[in-house]
Amino acid sequence: MNTNVSLWRSIRGPVMLVTLGTLFLIDHSGGISFTRTWPVLLIVLGVMWLGDYLGHRKA
Amino acid sequence: MRRTSFVAPILLIALGALLLARTLYPELQVMDYLARYWPVILIAWGLLRIVEILAWAAAGKPLPTRGLSGGEWVLIVFLCLFGLSVHTVRGVANWFPEHIQLDGLDLFDGERYEYPLSGEKAVAHTPHVLLEDFRGDAKINGFDAESVKVTGHKTIRGLGQKEADQSNSGSPFEIGGDANNIVIRVQPDRAGRSGRVSATLEISVPKGASVEVHGRNGDLDINDIAGSVAITSDNAGVRLNHIGGDARVELQHSDVIHISAVKGAVEIKGRGSDIELEDLDGETNIAGAYTGTIELKRLAKPVHFRGTRTEFNIESVPGQVSMTLGDFTGSKLAGPTHLTGRSRDVQISDFTGPLDVTLDRGDLNLTPALPLGRIQAHLRSGDIRLALPAGAQFTLNATTENGDISNPFGGGLALETKGRQGTLRGTVGSGASIELETRRGDIAVQQAVAAGANAPLQKLDQ
Repeated sequence: MNTNVSLWRSIRGPVMLVTLGTLFLIDHSGGISFTRTWPVLLIVLGVMWLGDYLGHRKA
Repeated sequence: MRRTSFVAPILLIALGALLLARTLYPELQVMDYLARYWPVILIAWGLLRIVEILAWAAAGKPLPTRGLSGGEWVLIVFLCLFGLSVHTVRGVANWFPEHIQLDGLDLFDGERYEYPLSGEKAVAHTPHVLLEDFRGDAKINGFDAESVKVTGHKTIRGLGQKEADQSNSGSPFEIGGDANNIVIRVQPDRAGRSGRVSATLEISVPKGASVEVHGRNGDLDINDIAGSVAITSDNAGVRLNHIGGDARVELQHSDVIHISAVKGAVEIKGRGSDIELEDLDGETNIAGAYTGTIELKRLAKPVHFRGTRTEFNIESVPGQVSMTLGDFTGSKLAGPTHLTGRSRDVQISDFTGPLDVTLDRGDLNLTPALPLGRIQAHLRSGDIRLALPAGAQFTLNATTENGDISNPFGGGLALETKGRQGTLRGTVGSGASIELETRRGDIAVQQAVAAGANAPLQKLDQ
């Protein structure tokens, strides 16, 4: 890609949003409560960051 | 340099469509869907954005540093707050205060002033008594009398004694109508701020009366009436006991509906929390969204329940049914019984007659009594456990597409497994057909053990 900004970085926000929505949906449909699943957000954010970092190193 | 995203216009179109649906089809429970599925908006938003960014990347266009702008995040926070509040109001908790007045601006302002009221009117043996446009609590009892007698007090919320006095004289209490049709009414005050006036009434009526209440809010307690009872209210707790005719209750919101000893048909509609019904001689119909516990005991005639996610029909309930948001427990049911549910653990014991259960998700635990009726159970995901009484005669066909199947029952049944699939088939004597199917889950067929082992089920018989 001929860009300065990596794709990882660009889609970080939207991916977080999808995760957030999914966790709330699980909560509302009687699955695991959001109060127990929220750390998933941290993990996803971490993964996205890591992807960004590794992407930059390769470049 | 910021490109316009196509996500915002799409969301706006979706919002417009949603509101249009609400105005065109008022019976569509848009808010209920919204309360449950609003996170889908977040997911759709995120996915659309990802697709958009991938498309830019594929086209070799420069990518934005941030997939979502600060402004969009603010909007998302608001959306979450809105979604969570709708979910809380419509869903789990009924934290909404009961006596708050939303049609006036006076939320809890002002002092409370009380004015006693009373009245009496001679009536026929079987009058129709209507309590109209009522706010407050009323207790209506049938007596061997030939008059309608009302005692109680009016409560007025006002900023001072003078204002309250004015409001009092502007909202007279009256018992109107003729000997056969009585209308009891506390007029809303002249300024139209009806929310300020409520009443606590104790009403005695002839035993033969039929009663109709149109209430705004407050608790209604009606006892010993030989006629029928009809209640409509925006927000009420209802207790009916010893009613000779039919009982019809339609509430926009209720905390508890308790109905016992009714000779006629019972019909309950609306939304609310708990429902307790016992000793009903007529047919029972319940339709609506109820988030609390539903308890049914000793219902002689068929009962039909139509909730948002669960439906059931039972020919009669000599024992008891207890249902919470996640569980359905029934004992001593006389079939045919039909139950469909989305996500629920179901336990039915000591039942006779045909049974038909369809569940999306949840475990099913069946302990039929003799003689066995035809049993059909279809689960998408969940375990099935069937405990057959000694001496049962039946033809069994049990399959799981992905799970373990076990046969502690033993003799006469053939177990076949192929990978994660399993079937258990066989015939014992000549009896009803039993068909069990789960797409994902375990199946166990066993002999019902004597009393003690079923302790948790037996407890319900108290």
